[in-house]
Amino acid sequence: MEEHSMSPELQNFLEQEKQKAMVNELVGKLTDVCWEKCITGTPSGKFSSSETNCLTNCAQRFMEASVLILRKMQR
Amino acid sequence: MDFSSPSSSSNDAMMDQLKNQLAQAYAQEFFGTVREKCFAKCVTKPSSSLSGSESSCISKCVDRYIEATGIVSRALFNAAK
Repeated sequence: MEEHSMSPELQNFLEQEKQKAMVNELVGKLTDVCWEKCITGTPSGKFSSSETNCLTNCAQRFMEASVLILRKMQR
Repeated sequence: MDFSSPSSSSNDAMMDQLKNQLAQAYAQEFFGTVREKCFAKCVTKPSSSLSGSESSCISKCVDRYIEATGIVSRALFNAAK
């Protein structure tokens, strides 16, 4: 297989877009999971403060749980 | 796709095209998720047409889901600091 060398500009660009896509995927997953946990009733005109707190807490606890699980897997 | 010694302007065109495709793919996926969530919440017993309250529920649901995406996004970036 022939190897073409990519310009540094393109390499950087692809790396950036890859990072952006990974972040988008994480946010999407988090929103999905936390919506299911926190938004239980019929959608209204705005979130209650308990709903927004739940969403924030959920996202942060999810990330902490991820770190915990990764650590356990590394032992 | 030949990446070897491209001209600067074909570089730019390629990067723009890729950005557009990625944005489209993201929008498609987001649409699919919101559709699934809001149909589940708002149309519990499908009938012969969408009622006013079902339509209104779907509309609010979309707004809330977009808002939830922002809240989760901010929580994530605050935690990363």
